[in-house]
Amino acid sequence: MEFSEHIKTANVEDVVLQQPLHPPSKGTLCITSHHLLFSDREERSGRQVLLLLRNIDAVEKSSVENLVNYFGLFPNAGRSDRATESSGTLVIKCKDLRVLQLEIPGMEQCLNIAQSIETLSCLDCVAEMYPFFYRPSNASLRDQWGLSTPERHYTEMEALHGRWRLSTVNQDYSVCPSYPPAVIVPKAIGDDALKKAAKFRQGGRFPVLCYYHRKNGTAAIEGSDKGYIIDTRSAQQAQQARMMGGGFESKSCYSGWKRLHRHMERGKTLQESLIKLVEACGDKSPNMDRWLSKLENSKWLSHVQTALSTAGLLAECVERDGRSVLVHGSEGTGSTLLISTLAQLIMDPSCRTLEGFLTLLEREFVQAGHPFQQRCSHSAFSHARLQQECPVFLLLLDCVWQLWYQFPLALGFSEALLLRLATEAYSSDYGTFLCNSDMERCALQVKGKTHCLFRVLLKPREREQYTNPLYEPNELAIWPSVHPQSLQLWRGFFLRWTQQTHHLELVQEDIRNMVIEWGKLALS
Amino acid sequence: MASPVSVYNSNVLDAHISSTSRESLKMELLADVTLLPGEERIIDKDIIYICPFSGAVKGKVLITNYRLYFKSCDADVAVTLDVPLGAISRVEKMGGVSSRGENSYGLDITCKDMRNLRFALKQEGHSRRDIFELLFKHAFPISHGLPLFAYVTQEKYEENGWSVYRPVEELRRQGLPNNKWRITFINKNYELCDTYPAVLAVPFKCKEEDLRRVSSFRSRGRIPVLSWIHRENRAAIARCSQPLVGMSGKRNKDDERYLDLIRDANDTAKLTIYDARPNVNAVANKATGGGYEGDEYHNAELVFLDIHNIHVMRESLKKLKDIVYPNVEESHWLSSLESTHWLEHIKLVLSGAIQVADKVSSGNSVVVHCSDGWDRTAQLTSLAMLMLDSHYRTLKGLQVLIEKEWISFGHKFTSVRNFTCVRPECRSGCLLGFAKNTAVCVCVCACARACVCLIVLVRVQRIGHGDKNHADQDRSPIFVQFMDCVWQMSKQFPTAFEFNERLLLTILEHLYSCRFGTFLYNCESAREQNALRQKTVSLWSLVNSKTELYLNPFYTPESGRVLYPVASMRHLELWVTYYIRWNPRIRQQQSPVEQRYLELLALRDEYIKKLEELRLSDSSRLADDGPGGDTSSPSPASSPTRQQHYTHLQTPF
Repeated sequence: MEFSEHIKTANVEDVVLQQPLHPPSKGTLCITSHHLLFSDREERSGRQVLLLLRNIDAVEKSSVENLVNYFGLFPNAGRSDRATESSGTLVIKCKDLRVLQLEIPGMEQCLNIAQSIETLSCLDCVAEMYPFFYRPSNASLRDQWGLSTPERHYTEMEALHGRWRLSTVNQDYSVCPSYPPAVIVPKAIGDDALKKAAKFRQGGRFPVLCYYHRKNGTAAIEGSDKGYIIDTRSAQQAQQARMMGGGFESKSCYSGWKRLHRHMERGKTLQESLIKLVEACGDKSPNMDRWLSKLENSKWLSHVQTALSTAGLLAECVERDGRSVLVHGSEGTGSTLLISTLAQLIMDPSCRTLEGFLTLLEREFVQAGHPFQQRCSHSAFSHARLQQECPVFLLLLDCVWQLWYQFPLALGFSEALLLRLATEAYSSDYGTFLCNSDMERCALQVKGKTHCLFRVLLKPREREQYTNPLYEPNELAIWPSVHPQSLQLWRGFFLRWTQQTHHLELVQEDIRNMVIEWGKLALS
Repeated sequence: MASPVSVYNSNVLDAHISSTSRESLKMELLADVTLLPGEERIIDKDIIYICPFSGAVKGKVLITNYRLYFKSCDADVAVTLDVPLGAISRVEKMGGVSSRGENSYGLDITCKDMRNLRFALKQEGHSRRDIFELLFKHAFPISHGLPLFAYVTQEKYEENGWSVYRPVEELRRQGLPNNKWRITFINKNYELCDTYPAVLAVPFKCKEEDLRRVSSFRSRGRIPVLSWIHRENRAAIARCSQPLVGMSGKRNKDDERYLDLIRDANDTAKLTIYDARPNVNAVANKATGGGYEGDEYHNAELVFLDIHNIHVMRESLKKLKDIVYPNVEESHWLSSLESTHWLEHIKLVLSGAIQVADKVSSGNSVVVHCSDGWDRTAQLTSLAMLMLDSHYRTLKGLQVLIEKEWISFGHKFTSVRNFTCVRPECRSGCLLGFAKNTAVCVCVCACARACVCLIVLVRVQRIGHGDKNHADQDRSPIFVQFMDCVWQMSKQFPTAFEFNERLLLTILEHLYSCRFGTFLYNCESAREQNALRQKTVSLWSLVNSKTELYLNPFYTPESGRVLYPVASMRHLELWVTYYIRWNPRIRQQQSPVEQRYLELLALRDEYIKKLEELRLSDSSRLADDGPGGDTSSPSPASSPTRQQHYTHLQTPF
């Protein structure tokens, strides 16, 4: 398919751009197959805005009334000029919550631009997306892709070799399409038994190991020894699932296992919560009437609370009780991954370094089959009908930020990393968050045809930018406080495009540079 | 098998503490209290503390002339309490000899620092009689003819905090006297205004007799005087109390001329008068003889800042206490918080101060007042000064700011607000306590006059139930609110303040403790009469003898920069580490962070030392090599005091 079909107007001069944190500027707007490019007319300023079209969540054409008002202000403008000089205004709302406004001369051009953006920002075909075209000069497609593999993970975890093995039963993705080709399972269970277990589990997601607690040899498994089963649905929901052919492990058949239900919101509810929150954050009324009530009504922070406390419960079972835990919801690709990831951050110091955290995300979200494509296709501004969108990954990042806020010394990475990941998950130059599973990525040769975000984040220059200057390795578990008073709105993300947040970002940067500089000289 | 975990409760901290302190508990229960020099044991006793978080806890209580200390003897629930007696506002008996139910007989103690304590004792043999009487006596020493602990303590510090603030020196730092402003000692005997300090700065052209005439037209004689002056544009912040306009709309030519002199000192067209009150309140004040400046003040504009009075603030803080102590309102936390309006008040105070600072930095002089000019006025002037003058953002600077705008200008740290005489012509209002069992006031102010007591009597009776001190409860929400605003600013500008959060918490702790003389009495005259500086220790002695505990490692000095915080609800936060500090579940991990900050401070000092060494060796090398020598020295831009690029924040009102 030709992208050019969708671009009727590629260039427009004299466009006025308004964006947060900058004064309005006039310049040239250019639409390419994947980008919106704005170049300031003032050459000295050299300001350019390069925006991935994929980052655009909604385009709003402002009404003609504004134009009338506009001309009402300049009554001397010649009547004949009106037709030709009429202009349209586009409000561009991005998935990273930025809101831009473009004033485009010429109604037709304006509509063309809007049309192009609408089409090109939500292409369905993954192979046409920008990561397949992004070719930075300092990287090669032959560079290593990804940070680890299930095989390597297994090799490194020597402690589990006694009772656990690596199975390649899913080599061709036939047993479970959303699992990676190799998984860690109990040694006593043969591949045939795994196949049978897979048939009994939704999506074929039979229980596999995701975390082995080195201190006491217990494990958290996704969906083993007897212990707890944490079901991320309420008991009632689990009952209802039974009617649909799903269900839960009954007491009689799984004796010795204790089932704990923790109701976690998913899907549409979570997406709607995000929409409400973003709406409240964008409230431009000067007195911001009832801000706290609006924040509460969005329920976002209570989702953060539930996620953190369920993860805390999981970690408690493993770390304090020394019991194995099986975690599942219905599909096991959303809240299950969320709480197993958080629990590992709470318990395992090796996950709290920059590299450890990215490896954890790669293993527990990307490889474990979180359907990024479906969940992150739209964010809070979109007018499209909700399909499978759900901000689980964003919720995870928010929870990690809460940990970071409560334990300023315990995590090796900075808030800037979380912000970067929050942006990249929704639109990216890299292939890391493409597709819904390892199988799909394999079919599209994502690893051969795109670059890997995690690898880039660990390059020396980027790495420095994303480290936490206050970090101190700490062997203990970090138990978050989950009381509402301890949970804060993640202003860095949700109010990111305000002066105050921008200022704090700069200050964080200053502090990091300060500490690095002291360290360099004082210890030299 | 351990019982299954049903609720994740994040209480590991407590569990951890209890297991480590098991050993120490075997030792003498109260041996680990380090008493202050001059502190003496009064009584100790076995008691049950009804802990709102852990339930009834058996232990031992120790009462000294300074504190109430409790330690549990049950190893599984390690609870300690360390409460300065000064923080206690009420002691009551709970239950009687015949009361039924477990732990129904004992003591109920209300504190000024957002908590209540309940103790239970054995019902037999009047077991609480001695402890109740002794606690009552020592918690309210003034009522019992005993000295405050600040007069008893024998503490010695390397630094003398009383020398931190010298009024004339501070005015000199601001560039006074100059050809427009002069320093006057007209109030050296506190005759012009007994709640003002001895040293005042007034317009140069204003003669002493003018000042006297103006003082008759300002509530409690609190005439407009200079708080701060901008070094470059010479715009000034002046503070005062409301004019005594009254229902009849009285005028005073001298007052009008005086304000015009303030405007004239800076050659600006208009003087802005900021009345901190809501418009309606200012109007209502006319009924009691007060009011606000009308049109007769030419060249002046009046702006109301809509900040509510102390009663509203006290109510708001009380509501906040209700949702955080003992149990935090969990299910609708944010809307409950909203309904206290506390953050909204913080927002109004901050945005008022921003307006003042903005006016001054754009070159216009301002006059700030409320009713008496010792509550909201102090908030506004001191916060505006904090925004305008980077000196006040240093460790010593904040001390000066508090000494100057709050302590010396007569913020009523000590008085029971309810008993302040409301008649504007009465110059008193410095009430400290009550004689036992009667409603006669003990006035410690220099100007004790008979006129005070009648009004006081009425009010005491309204409180009723013979519990004399409990109206004292929230005596200073205004100062707490100021500290909250400072905390909000330090959150928004993490590198702009030399001091850290611990300093703010320490100041608030000793606001009530009575261990230091700093916050005792209401005005300079009373302090002088009671030989405060000679007989007590200053809080700043404690702070300045161990400064590293209170320093922010990331402080980057920037003189001349005006800090405008964002006074928007979205960017304000509840100061959880202060208001909810008693709740063990909320407790954040302060100590590792503080430890890390100490390390960073040491690292920074090491860095500065190395940098200095490099500079020295470099300059000597340069001297050897002559011009054109090695220039690869570390750039000055890398010093910790480097100027950083900062964006000026737009502040929405």
